[in-house]
Amino acid sequence: MALEDIPRLGCGRSIDRIWATIDRPPTAHEEHCEQCQTARTRLQRLGEATRLLRQSDLHDPALKPRPGIKNAIMDVARAEVRRGSSILLRSADNGTTEISEQALSSLIRIAAAAIPGVHSRRCRIEIRSASLPGEDRPSGTTGTTTTARPRLIVNLWVAAAQGIIIPRTMEALRQKISNALPACVGISAGTVNITVEDLYDV
Amino acid sequence: MGDHGPGFEPDLDEASIVARAQDGDLAAFEHLVLTYQYRLFRLAYRMLNDHGEAEDMVQETLTTSWRGLPMLADVDAFGGWIYRLATNKCLDLLRKRSAHAVNCIQPEDMDTIPEACARAVPRGSDPAHEAEWSAEQDRLTAVLNTLPPAQRACWLLREMHGRSYAEIGVTLKISPTTVRGTLARARHQIAEGMSEWR
Repeated sequence: MALEDIPRLGCGRSIDRIWATIDRPPTAHEEHCEQCQTARTRLQRLGEATRLLRQSDLHDPALKPRPGIKNAIMDVARAEVRRGSSILLRSADNGTTEISEQALSSLIRIAAAAIPGVHSRRCRIEIRSASLPGEDRPSGTTGTTTTARPRLIVNLWVAAAQGIIIPRTMEALRQKISNALPACVGISAGTVNITVEDLYDV
Repeated sequence: MGDHGPGFEPDLDEASIVARAQDGDLAAFEHLVLTYQYRLFRLAYRMLNDHGEAEDMVQETLTTSWRGLPMLADVDAFGGWIYRLATNKCLDLLRKRSAHAVNCIQPEDMDTIPEACARAVPRGSDPAHEAEWSAEQDRLTAVLNTLPPAQRACWLLREMHGRSYAEIGVTLKISPTTVRGTLARARHQIAEGMSEWR
């Protein structure tokens, strides 16, 4: 239906076509057709007014919301913040130490920010308790049980800058995260899975 | 660690910022709010012609987006999605308005409605010229306000905000071809309307 809906002048030219070629010199037909000339003049006038309105709206201080609006939005976001699950870092006789997945993700992103060419995105963290029997230990081996500690499984999705060498950069990123975690929370990252899901322009 | 998360890397691409906000990162979400609040306000103001209602709309849209972010499948689609939320909230409000009262702007009243006319004068040009351009913008916004809301939204999204035909089509639930037809009619009507003002 839409194509027939486009208004046409008496001479048969569509408004759409005149609009599309408004910046070019008039065609031979347009030069001699009064209807086309009128339509061109009016549309040129509209085009100029549109451009000016776009500019003036952009810079008009009256066309901005109060700063309170942003604060109100952020207040709601803070009140309903998604912290993810809680990760138990340490358990002692007199209590436990936990960290939210979200806070831990922030630490990981701060570490990742130090590697050029990487923008960290989503992050999922699991904790694997060392006391689970049979895990990560070939059957029959003994002796590590008493010193084993829980370890973190980090799954991080990133965007990489166009043109970087991905394997080398990701290895540096993995190293950075593996070093940062024990320093920050005292638990080592057992596994750091990195997925490059996108490339960004630089 | 405070609620604001880490210091923000200044050159982050928008998709990465959106992904972090999906994870609950408040600094990332705040960045999106700062980026989009003014654009959404300009759209809402030109749709609703009311400063307070436009502010409410910005607040509602961005709050809704925080709750809906985890469901957004494509991080590159945030811009289109937030414009869609805002446009549809404006159209809903205009439907409610017209159901409650006859609140349409009649063509003969248009030049007496100050709020429909934002005057912004380019600096440094001569006063007569400035007045003429300002009057020209007033005519444009006045005629714009006589268009049906969906057509006005279509024109604003394309001409003031540069959104794609495909995206506008999804927002208004019409095909990109119909978007093109709607835009052509809107331009035609506005151009004709402005010419009657001489």
